[in-house]
Amino acid sequence: MSEALRKLKMELKGPLSLILLAVTGILITLPLLVRNPFLINTLMLSFLFGFAALAWNLMAGYTGLLSFGHAVFFGIGAYTTMILLLWWRITPWIGMLAAGVTAGLVGFVIGIPFTRLRSHWFALGTLALGEVVQIIFINWRAVGGARGLETPIMPQCLYWLNFVDPTVHYYVIMGLLGVELFILYLIVNGRIGYYLQAIREDETAAMALGINPFKYKLISITISAFLTGIAGGFYTARFGYVDPFSVFGMMYISINISIIGILGGIYSLIGPLIGALVFVPAAEYTRAYIGSHFGARFYGIHLVAFGIILLAVCFIVPDGIMGWVERRGYIRAILGHGEEGVGGGE
Amino acid sequence: MVSAMAIAQAVISGLLIGSLYSLISMGLALIWGVMDIVNFAHGDFMMVAGYLTCILFDYAGVDPLLSVPVAFAVTFVLGILTQRFVIDRVLEAPPVSQIFATFALLMIIRNTALLIWGPKPTTITGLWYAELVFRPYGLTLSLIHILIAVICMVTTAILYIFITRTYTGIALRATSQNRLAARLLGIDIRKMYLLAFGIGVGLTGIGGALLASFYYIFPEVGARFCMLSFMIVVLGGFGSLFGALVGGLAIGVLEELSALLVNPALKDAIAFGIFILILLFKPTGLFGGRET
Repeated sequence: MSEALRKLKMELKGPLSLILLAVTGILITLPLLVRNPFLINTLMLSFLFGFAALAWNLMAGYTGLLSFGHAVFFGIGAYTTMILLLWWRITPWIGMLAAGVTAGLVGFVIGIPFTRLRSHWFALGTLALGEVVQIIFINWRAVGGARGLETPIMPQCLYWLNFVDPTVHYYVIMGLLGVELFILYLIVNGRIGYYLQAIREDETAAMALGINPFKYKLISITISAFLTGIAGGFYTARFGYVDPFSVFGMMYISINISIIGILGGIYSLIGPLIGALVFVPAAEYTRAYIGSHFGARFYGIHLVAFGIILLAVCFIVPDGIMGWVERRGYIRAILGHGEEGVGGGE
Repeated sequence: MVSAMAIAQAVISGLLIGSLYSLISMGLALIWGVMDIVNFAHGDFMMVAGYLTCILFDYAGVDPLLSVPVAFAVTFVLGILTQRFVIDRVLEAPPVSQIFATFALLMIIRNTALLIWGPKPTTITGLWYAELVFRPYGLTLSLIHILIAVICMVTTAILYIFITRTYTGIALRATSQNRLAARLLGIDIRKMYLLAFGIGVGLTGIGGALLASFYYIFPEVGARFCMLSFMIVVLGGFGSLFGALVGGLAIGVLEELSALLVNPALKDAIAFGIFILILLFKPTGLFGGRET
């Protein structure tokens, strides 16, 4: 950890701190400058999906555990926050933390058997797990069944994190994202991060070096589940409504998160966030445009387009936007050195 | 109390629907075995064949069971094109790229279908034998399910003869067992890949045509069958055609039994749950196969 902190201090002495300051400054002042709730809402959604995709990528990119079942953690987080709020009137602030803890526990328990699976098998196993959990929640009457749960009527205030306007939620998720990035930076640049990458590259070799793959994979899954659960908790706080088809949705959550990760670049720390900032606004704006100009009949055009883009990414830049940027040497040019973690997996 | 009759009925219904699962899964197993690619778009080729069958019925009055060869031919060609222009480019790529390439295919096919035909389910109505039912010994068997099972079994037999008795079929199996050795023996493995993907997807095409004769067709119809066939292939032992055949029947029976004995709404959850258990504790499947 301390090593990672020292590295961060070193990097912040360079142009990185300026870039960070500028980006954060723009993002903070944006809602004050632009009175456009749709834009703010879209950015908020991008941050939310970016948050989940970053968590997903700790497993997929850094550990080589390709998960297609992250909706399990997301949904459990969303339901935890909802149930705490609905049954015991506990504020979503605590609810989100509880969501992370519950999802982390679930991740830990699931992780114990699932760490045995590799590549394709892990992907298929998590895919099936997502389906099982979704079906269970659809049929679980006590937590609302297929109809889902709705938050009680609450005053619009910061304590209940209940606002129609997206601005407050925008700031909240941005703050959470900052904390997440900091935590992930420490993990990835610390001992654990290097162990995880060693396991990804060659599990047997990592074992020969004395790394216990089981232990570190489990750590990776637990942290990833914890963070994804928080994203789910935030979903509840924002939308005030959870149902199994959305929060446990294979396409809407699991697959979207992984596509965002692939698009942005899974071998890079901020890749998935960049992916979300490209993918979500593109999806939202094309959806709104198609909806208002052609009618709902033509929903799906943008998804065909994303399919084609995804195919192109697989063919041309399998390491995503950030991987491409890194290979072209842009990061080196700006920061004076390569970003750590990018360009792995050769 | 569940009577023995009801259990017998569930087993027979399970075997009948299971034969359809087997057919689709053998297609997936063939592709998986020969090329080591997990085809996530597998169910969507089925959906395309289903729509094709509906269209042939609506506009030309072709019986869905007679459009089986057409469905096979069309999906076979689609499969070859897919192999040539998509899969071929990611064969040497890391698994992540392969998985997402087939996923991209899924998105393209499924949403194109959504654009063309809309989300509303369509179905074939007015088939003269759709309502015909036999009642031997107090069981209820619908003619259409029996016909489907017969067609599945005939297709399986033809596939079996093809891969065991013809030169091309044997070459296909050789490629599946050892790519390098097959290449050394002068087998053009690129051609084998084309063939494997074409036949594999073609088998789902047949499944799609059969599905259209008794079920609704909608853009996402393939999703459930795709998941089921993943399960069946893993259950039967990775890449094993025989395993896929038996696995399909077993899952069909299992689903009907759990619908009868536990809860119809949970039948998929039980099947997927068992799949996870097999994945965890017997990753080579019930019929051996090779481990990766």
